[in-house]
Amino acid sequence: MAPPVSKRIKTLSVSRPIIYGNTAKKMGDHKPANAPVEHTHLWTIFVRDPRGEDISYYIKKVVFKLHETYPNHTRVVEAPPFELTETGWGEFDVNIKIYFIDEANEKQLNFYHRLRLHPYDNQANSDSTEINEAGETIIKSVFFDEVVFNEPHENFFQILMSKPGNLLPSNKTPKNIFSKQLEEEEIYRIKKGIDEIDKQIADLQEKIDEKDETV
Amino acid sequence: MSSSDIFDVLNIKPKSDSLKDDTTTGKHTSSLAVSDKNTPVPGTSSIPTMKSMAPKPQVTGIQRELYNLLGENQPPIMVQPVNRFKQKMTGKPSPWTYSEFWSTDDEDTTKRVKLRHWVKGSKELIGETPQVSSFSKFNQHLTLPQFTEEEYNSFMKAAKERKETHKEELLTTLKIKDKPSVEKNSNEMILKVNAEKGTPEDKQNSIEPLNKSETVENDVDSKDNEDKGTGKDNIQENEGEIENNEAADGKETAEDESDWTFAEVDYLFQLCRKYDLRWFIIYDRYQFDSPNHRILEDLKSKFYEMCQNYFAARNSNDPLLQSLNYNKEKEVERKQYLQRLLSRSAAEIAEEEALIIESKKFEMAAKKTLNERESLLRLLDSPNSDQNVSQYMTSQGISQLYNNLLADKSRKRKNDSSIPENPWMKQQQQFAQQKQQLQQLHEKRHSESSQPDHNHINGNRSNSIQSTPALNKTMSSNESDIKLTSSPRKTKRQKQELQNAIKRKGEAQYAEQLLQNFTAEERKSLGVIAHGEKLSPGVYMRSTKISTFKPALQNKIVVILQELGLPMRPSMPSHDVIEVQEDLLKHVVTLLDLKKQLDRIDAEKAIKK
Repeated sequence: MAPPVSKRIKTLSVSRPIIYGNTAKKMGDHKPANAPVEHTHLWTIFVRDPRGEDISYYIKKVVFKLHETYPNHTRVVEAPPFELTETGWGEFDVNIKIYFIDEANEKQLNFYHRLRLHPYDNQANSDSTEINEAGETIIKSVFFDEVVFNEPHENFFQILMSKPGNLLPSNKTPKNIFSKQLEEEEIYRIKKGIDEIDKQIADLQEKIDEKDETV
Repeated sequence: MSSSDIFDVLNIKPKSDSLKDDTTTGKHTSSLAVSDKNTPVPGTSSIPTMKSMAPKPQVTGIQRELYNLLGENQPPIMVQPVNRFKQKMTGKPSPWTYSEFWSTDDEDTTKRVKLRHWVKGSKELIGETPQVSSFSKFNQHLTLPQFTEEEYNSFMKAAKERKETHKEELLTTLKIKDKPSVEKNSNEMILKVNAEKGTPEDKQNSIEPLNKSETVENDVDSKDNEDKGTGKDNIQENEGEIENNEAADGKETAEDESDWTFAEVDYLFQLCRKYDLRWFIIYDRYQFDSPNHRILEDLKSKFYEMCQNYFAARNSNDPLLQSLNYNKEKEVERKQYLQRLLSRSAAEIAEEEALIIESKKFEMAAKKTLNERESLLRLLDSPNSDQNVSQYMTSQGISQLYNNLLADKSRKRKNDSSIPENPWMKQQQQFAQQKQQLQQLHEKRHSESSQPDHNHINGNRSNSIQSTPALNKTMSSNESDIKLTSSPRKTKRQKQELQNAIKRKGEAQYAEQLLQNFTAEERKSLGVIAHGEKLSPGVYMRSTKISTFKPALQNKIVVILQELGLPMRPSMPSHDVIEVQEDLLKHVVTLLDLKKQLDRIDAEKAIKK
């Protein structure tokens, strides 16, 4: 369907936070009936809002492209929640394509997520493990990102402006660490890094000056 | 190394032993021994001594071992017979005979001559009777018109009458078209070609003097050709033509009446017949008792005139008439010219060549100046540059063009972008602008505290509302763009930039206007930012816009970040975080640069030491 002709609003961008990643847990004895024998894990891959808000007002569908050994390895999720649960035994890169609503008149976003089934020692902070109520270890590999619509079309802009979609939860929770709190921590950390670098720069500069003088 | 050496070293006398063995063992081995030439007598003890005796005197210059290898097995030297003498002639010489022959096949013995020549073949083969020369068939004669005195008088009279009428005709028709009538009437003659025995040589002979006019046609198109052929008419101006015609006619008639008698004409024709129109011979033999000395051209022109008259009298539409024009004056002129040309002295020739070279130089120079002028005119961006420049070649034309250009220039804008700019001027302008900018910035700072510039209210307000550094930056850049408008002189590029800036500013204003109902907090929650920059439209993930560097540099950056305990990709790549991250990366790059610089200084020091 051809979207109505509209022009882009220049020099303006709108961003929406999203979380994507997967959770996984070992399957015990009670496997799903149709799961192949060699599958050991049950995993769920998802794309959602950090606050769990509905994002279908700007996302039309999400396509997960699984490993080719899966039957129908291209899975299309056309309604929220945009997630997919499968069983498996190995880790692989899942290709995620986010299609936006027709009014957006934008290309789809295309990125990869490495499916995580096992806990890693050298975890990045996006990977974590937790123990759920049932006492099962849940492996999580979740990433935060922002979808930026640069110079959106006017219609789409109106739609985006109808909801304050850029909000984050204010505090970290065990379930969701991505929040204003984490953001501030992150900024703080980086700023400290900058300070550290600045110190090193000053040191180096001094050394260079010294050597220049001696030369 | 031969086997004998080994035997020598081992101190054995093998040959004798073996031979002894041979003799003892049997007969058939003796035959083997016989094959050995060294041992003509098998079974004797003398062999080893023979062998030892045989060795030739001591040889130097060749290794002993190698020398020993030389035995009776040397290949024989090939001797190839070389024939040093010429091969003998084979076959006997063919006979040649010095025999008689007749010059022509004419039966009349008075006309033919008996000559002798060498012919291949024996006397018997050729026979005693003289043969007719095989070349006699090439001896062809022209058939020229013959006439009696009465005939001569009659067609001369007719010709004279024609001439009279033609003169009148000429005078009346001259203005329209003179050529055809002139041809018909002026000189009429004809030549009969011996057509029966039309060998090529023959034809050539007869037609040679007329070759020029063979192609002549009645058409007016070939007027030029006719001009060449008929010299009397070779005049550009009408009046001149008339005069000339009259003069020529007068001359002719005078000649006819005074000079040429029938006897002389007859004599001429006899000679022509005799020598087959070989004019130089005719001229050479011409000996008629006449008061006038006749040059070759006189004879020729008379001959053609007579021919023309003759044929015209018989049939006025004879096609041959066209080809019988002979232009005496032109021929004489031509010969005179040739004479002059051939009799030039060496100095004259040299001078002429020098003059030719000079004239060529002049031509080249003229061409060059013409080209230059043309290109110059084109450069001047004149409105008519694609037209021919010939109209400007005169001084008047040039001055006119100059005026045109002046008028044009005053009408047009001053700076034409098509004219290449002086790079120095450009540079200077840039410097001036920079200076001006600096000054304005200075002034602005002064005035800002007391009286905010109306122009920048919008920007200031948005700054205060947004309070985002990026926006600040862009707004300031916008401001600097705007300042450029105030600078009096602008280059095209600057103009374009300015236009872009204005456009962007307009867009930014529009974006601002859309957002004006939202407070900063609301904007943040909506995730909307008016960044005011020119970024490619479309959707992207924030984390993908983190700066990346060349692989080597990137690795170093990653190492430094790891030392700081920071990831390359922040776990929460939100707008604010990424901004800080970019800042961090910039600092890291600076640090790396400094490190490199330090290393370089160290290296330099090491080299100096």
